[in-house]
Parts: sequence; structure tokens; C-alpha cells
Amino acid sequence: MESLKSTLAWLLWLWMSAVLAGAFLYAPLAQGFIGQSSRILFFHVPMAWTAFVAFLAAGVWSVRYLFAGRHERHDRAARVAIELGLVFGLLATVTGSLWARIMWGAYWNWDPRQTSIVIALVFYGAYLALRDAVEDGEKRARLAAAYAALGLVVTPFLFFIVPRITFSLHPDSVVNARGKVEMEARMLQVLLASGTGFTALFFWLHNLRCRLLALEERAEAREGTRAPDEARVGTRAPDEIARAGTPASNEAAPLATRASEGA
Amino acid sequence: MWRRASTWAAEAAAVFAKEWRCEFRTRYALNTLALFALTTLVTISVSLGPLGISLAHGTGVLPVLLWLILLFAAAAGLPRAFVHEEETQSATALRLAARPSTVFAGKLAYGATLTAALEALITPLYLAVMSSAVARPGLLIAALAAGGYGLAAGSTLVAAIIAQARGKATLFAVLSFPVLLPLVLMAVALSREAFAGGGAAGTTAEMTLMQLFLYDASVTVAGLMLFPVVWNP
Amino acid sequence: MPASLRFDGLHRRFGRLAVLRGISGGAAAGEALLVTGRNGSGKSTLLRCLAGLLAADAGSVDYRENGPPLGAAERRRRVGLVAPDLAFYGELTVAENLVFFARLRGLGRERGEALLARLGLPGDRLAGALSSGMRQRLRWAWALLHRPALLLLDEPFQNLDAPGLAATGRLLAEHLAPEDGGGEPGLAVIATPSPLEIAGVAARLDLGG
Repeated sequence: MESLKSTLAWLLWLWMSAVLAGAFLYAPLAQGFIGQSSRILFFHVPMAWTAFVAFLAAGVWSVRYLFAGRHERHDRAARVAIELGLVFGLLATVTGSLWARIMWGAYWNWDPRQTSIVIALVFYGAYLALRDAVEDGEKRARLAAAYAALGLVVTPFLFFIVPRITFSLHPDSVVNARGKVEMEARMLQVLLASGTGFTALFFWLHNLRCRLLALEERAEAREGTRAPDEARVGTRAPDEIARAGTPASNEAAPLATRASEGA
Repeated sequence: MWRRASTWAAEAAAVFAKEWRCEFRTRYALNTLALFALTTLVTISVSLGPLGISLAHGTGVLPVLLWLILLFAAAAGLPRAFVHEEETQSATALRLAARPSTVFAGKLAYGATLTAALEALITPLYLAVMSSAVARPGLLIAALAAGGYGLAAGSTLVAAIIAQARGKATLFAVLSFPVLLPLVLMAVALSREAFAGGGAAGTTAEMTLMQLFLYDASVTVAGLMLFPVVWNP
Repeated sequence: MPASLRFDGLHRRFGRLAVLRGISGGAAAGEALLVTGRNGSGKSTLLRCLAGLLAADAGSVDYRENGPPLGAAERRRRVGLVAPDLAFYGELTVAENLVFFARLRGLGRERGEALLARLGLPGDRLAGALSSGMRQRLRWAWALLHRPALLLLDEPFQNLDAPGLAATGRLLAEHLAPEDGGGEPGLAVIATPSPLEIAGVAARLDLGG
């Protein structure tokens, strides 16, 4: 299991290197774009796509948390997906506005797609603010999951309806209004490879971060259960302390074994 | 089945009646909302000058200002439905006595009627002060009805969430605006057509209105499904 | 089959603080379980878990009334709770409060009026203007309104004067052992920091502290 995972990580590294090379050396320039600016497509579009996947996945995990047994791992997965989605979404916004500076002459001009992604980023930023504002773990997970599930309902309006009621300069989506993909073959190959790579990168990062958080939480929970005992030691009889000492020192062992299981 | 539906409706009606009865005793929300909206209205009207703005410019800007007044007034008054309940600790008694969906329905009906009352007060005043004519009054009323309901529906669920967190007032603004912004953008687009008459390029008023209804329906259904898990562990 | 309550291995932590660590107990019809322990030992947390107001991290609650165990949602609507943090609508009168909760439960006004009389509560006074003793009596009236089989009482006698103690004591005794025609015997879980002498206490649970 461990060796398979590290092989996959190496494969991902090779894949992303190939995408990088392909974007700059293999794919041709698109017509009607200034200078080399069309190459940003191979990073901007996959990052926006990955943010979308991350937010969608977070919504699904949140719904599963709420309605399929309240497993902490689902809450953790949703939270990590939103954190990563914000990173990818922010990168997509930055690359998009760099491109807009070159093509439209301004970093920002409230193009519908810019509007949509900013509102989406604010929404998921608010999700993190909500988590910080609730003390109790169970309640925090529940309220945050409900808000993320509400996101599943609200964001389609952002991405499908808001662009329709406002005027757009944005180039056609990859699949255009006529339902066809109109792109040079080599460009399309690099774009799809990059999209696959970024999506895999997301799931790899997601997996790492979830495992790390699970370990942290487990370690914290152990401390939490032991702390009151230690606080009470002063009032106990000496023989009681001696008896309590043995199981406590054994407790460290299962944590270590479970940590390696998790990896 | 019929019996269950009627007891459900009676429960929701009891919550709705309780909200309004408490409101009439204190008039807190009514006063806050009306005064807030009036202050903003005066500020806008004074800063735009005694003659208002020229009509050509006006049809673009007027709907935006109207919806901003409504949005901020709603944000000032609507969260109280749940915040007050948690702060005075009456929420526990309500949790133990009523089904969650009836609490949501009753509070939503209260929020929607409160918003409707606010709109009925502010819109005529706004039009009079700005001395603006509306090309399609029916469309404006539809936009106000669908938009106002949407404001209430989105706010009610978010209010239930933030009422259980720290820093309620700021948190409500942070959490509700991304939820309500698509609605406000749609309502503004619709009101713009109502003010100006003609349809903007590539859009028709009817389609936007349908999408506004779709938003209302989606948020209501989401609220009914999510509220029970927000309200109770 | 009469009502019964059984809970096993309840755990609940708040952040890093583990408040309940494997608490078990129960009560049968006609019995009261007395939960004692110092301030902060988790009595209120236990009662909130039993009422379904708080989700336990681990453990199970098995409460039934003539049938299969009730889920948390059902339990919430069935129990009667008296707790220090229980409050009502201060803008409404005492009677209006009870009428509102009776309507939510699909009941008439008679039961509320009877309880007002027995507890000596002023029906036309605003609930927000009650003294602490009267507030405690109102909590009792609210908890007994729907004739619950399970009463969860968290410091139920605080702030009560002698007549208040007598009235609530009689109501509790009737709840556990109804007179002829008064329905089936109920059960109660009573949490108190100081020892109490109550008839009908079948078991004690000390949470220490």
C-alpha cells in the first residue's frame, strides 16, 4: 500500500512535468491572442476546473456527513476540500486577471465569470469563518456542513444564471455554446492532460491533509482525556496514582500503531 | 395523511402567530427595519441632489439603490428571528415542543411578511422621492414579491446557522451576502427592465422572473431539508 | 408495556474537556434516578443528552413508550424538561406562553389552566417580569403540559419557596405514582448538586466531580 502510494506520487510528478513542457514547447499558440498569452489557458482553465471539483466534492461530503451517519472523516474531507478549492480558485482568479490585463487592458473589470468566482470564493471563505466562530466540535461540523450543502444550491445560480444576465467578454468555455469543442488538437491534448493532472494533484493533496488532520485530532483527543486525570493527581492517594500510571503509559502504544495504519 | 398535513400547518401557523404577537408587543424589527430603510433612503436621495438623477441615467442606477436599501434593511432585521430566540434561551423550549420543519416554515412566513411590509412602505416612498416613473409596474411588483421572498428564505436559514455561533451580527453579513447576491443580481436585472421598459440585450424579463422563482423554490426546499440538522443535533 | 429508560456508555467532550466519560444508568416506570455530583461534573450535559438536545460522542440512549426505542427527534418532543437555562417568551404572558406550547403540541388550554392554578402562577403576568421562583414554577408547568412519561429535572427545586416546593413535590409524586385513573406511572431523572430526599428514588448515579 505504502509503495503503491509513493509510486503514484512519482507518476503525478512526472505527469505534471510533462504538462509543463507540453504547455510551453508542444502546444501551438491560439489565434487572436496577444503574444504568448494563450498559454495561460493550460493552467488557468484546469485550476478553475479543479476549484469547481473541490467545491462540488466538499458539498457532497457535507451532505454525506449530515445525512449518512455523521462520520467525522466526512466533515474533515469537506473542510480540506474547501481549503484546497480556495487555493485553486484564488490561483485561477490571479492567472485570469493577469491574462485580462494583457487582453482587455485591465486586471479587473467585473466580467460575469470574475463576478461568479469572486462570490464563490467569498462563500467558501465565509464557510471557514463560520467554522472559526463555533466552539463545540459537533455543532461546528453540523453548521458548516449545512452551509456547504446550501452552497450546492446557490452556486449553480452563480455559474449559470448570473453570466446570462450580464454582458461578457470572456472567451467561450472549452465546450462552446454550440456544444462542440473547437480547439487545435495539440492544444486540446495538453489542456486535457493538465486538467487530469491538476485534478489528481487535488486528490493527492486532499488525501495527505486529511490524514494529517486525523492524526492531529487523535493526538489532541488523547491529551484531552488525560489532562483532567493529571489535574486531579494532587488529591489522590499515592497508591491510586501508582495504579493509574500503568494504563496511562500503555495508552501511547495504540496511538503509534494506529498512526502507521492510517498512513 | 390529510390529518398529518393539517396538524403540520397548524403548528407552523402557531409559530408564525407567535412571531407576530411578540413583534407587535416590542415592535423591534418593524422599527429597526423601517428606520434603517428610511435613513438610507434619505441619505441616497439627499446625496443625489434635489432634482434626483436624469432619467437616462436613472433607470440604470435606481433599481440598484432600491435593492441595496432592501438588502441591508433585511440584513438588519431578519436574523433577529433566531438570534433573539437563542439569546433569550427560549430556543430550547421551542426545540422540545415543535417539529423543526414547522419552526422553519413559521419563521420563514414571518420573515417574508415582514419583508413584504417593508417593501410596501419603502418602494412608493422611493419612487416618489426619486420622482421616477416605472414603465412596467406589474413587473416591478413581481420582482419585489419574488425577490423579497428570496431574501427572507435565504436569510432565515443563514440566521438559524449564525444564531448558534459567536459574533452573530458580523457573521450574518459574511454568510448571507454570497447566498443572497445571485438573488439580488437577478432582482436588479428584472427591476431595471421594469423601470426602463425595454428588455436588455439577449434577456427577457419572463425568463429572469422564472429563474428568480427557481431560486426561491430551491432555497425553500434546501431550507426545509437542512434546517432540521441546523436546529437540532 | 410501560415506559423505560436505559443509557449506556455516554461520552461527551467539549473541545479538549471530556465531561461525560462512559456514563450508564436507567429507570423504569414509577422510578426516579437521582443524579448527583459537584458543579461541573456533567449533570446538565447528561440530561441534555437524554433529552436529545445534545449529541453524545459515543454511547446509546434507549427510551421507549409501549414500543420500539424512540429516536432523538421523537424523544425531544416526548420528554418534559425542567432546567435552569430553560426560558420562555418574555414578551408574552404566562398564559399565552402555555397556550402557544399547547397549540404546538395539538392540545387544548385546560391542562395549562389547571397547572397554573396548582402551581399558583399569575397567568396574566408577562413571563419576562416573573421573579426567579415564579420562573421556576413556570418551567414546571411547561414541562408537565403534555403529560410526558419521562421527566428530566435539572435542579428542579431551586429558588422555590415552601408552597412552591410543596406544589412541585406533589406534582412529581403524582407523576411517579398516579392516583386511580391518572394514567400510567411515569419516570424521572433528577439532577441535583446537593442531596435530596425524594420519594420514589430507585437508583442513584454519582458523577463525582
